[in-house]
Amino acid sequence: MQASVRIQHEDFSQDEEINALKSGSKRMGGIGTFLGCARDFSEGREVSEISFDAYGSMALSEMNKLRRDAIEKFDLLDARIVHRIGTVKGGDNIVFIAAGAEHRVAALEACRWMIDELKQRVPIWKKEITPQGDSWVVPHP
Amino acid sequence: MIRVLFFGPVAERIGCHTVQVEYRSGMLLKDLRDELAARYSKAFELVSLMAVNGEHVRDMALPLADNSEVVFMSKFSGG
Repeated sequence: MQASVRIQHEDFSQDEEINALKSGSKRMGGIGTFLGCARDFSEGREVSEISFDAYGSMALSEMNKLRRDAIEKFDLLDARIVHRIGTVKGGDNIVFIAAGAEHRVAALEACRWMIDELKQRVPIWKKEITPQGDSWVVPHP
Repeated sequence: MIRVLFFGPVAERIGCHTVQVEYRSGMLLKDLRDELAARYSKAFELVSLMAVNGEHVRDMALPLADNSEVVFMSKFSGG
């Protein structure tokens, strides 16, 4: 089984991640997931590709802390976070987060909390590549 | 020697991902920032976050140790 927290170039399988999450406990009554995808249109421009730069060692360390914090804060049974780097095209997967809990509220709230925290804490930057030129993405609130 | 790393838009403005700065006894994070901000003023307009040895740091008065790894970063945009 792959690690619960990963940064990787290749795509991921949501089914495999959810199966890995479920395999840890049969007490899991709710799983909340978030899938972030690459948009092919942004700020009025067509986007052909998105490329990522990351401070890899710190990003992985922060994502592991984030998972541990979420498990403690929301009393989760397990959680997984996978983020892609490199270059992706419109429609491609970027990030997957899954939170498993005994009940749905904790699973859904933890999932929302993890993606919001990831954007604040994890040193990854994305650049949109468009026919009009490239530009680094300014974070959305 | 202090190893300073840059990523994303900050690295692009500086034109490289790494610079080495001579360590001086008693050197604070603020000293390093001021020295580099003077050298790379356009890039440091974007800097709002810092890390030392892989940990977020807010205290500019943090003393640096020789062989530290310091990163000056713009706001993140992953996810």
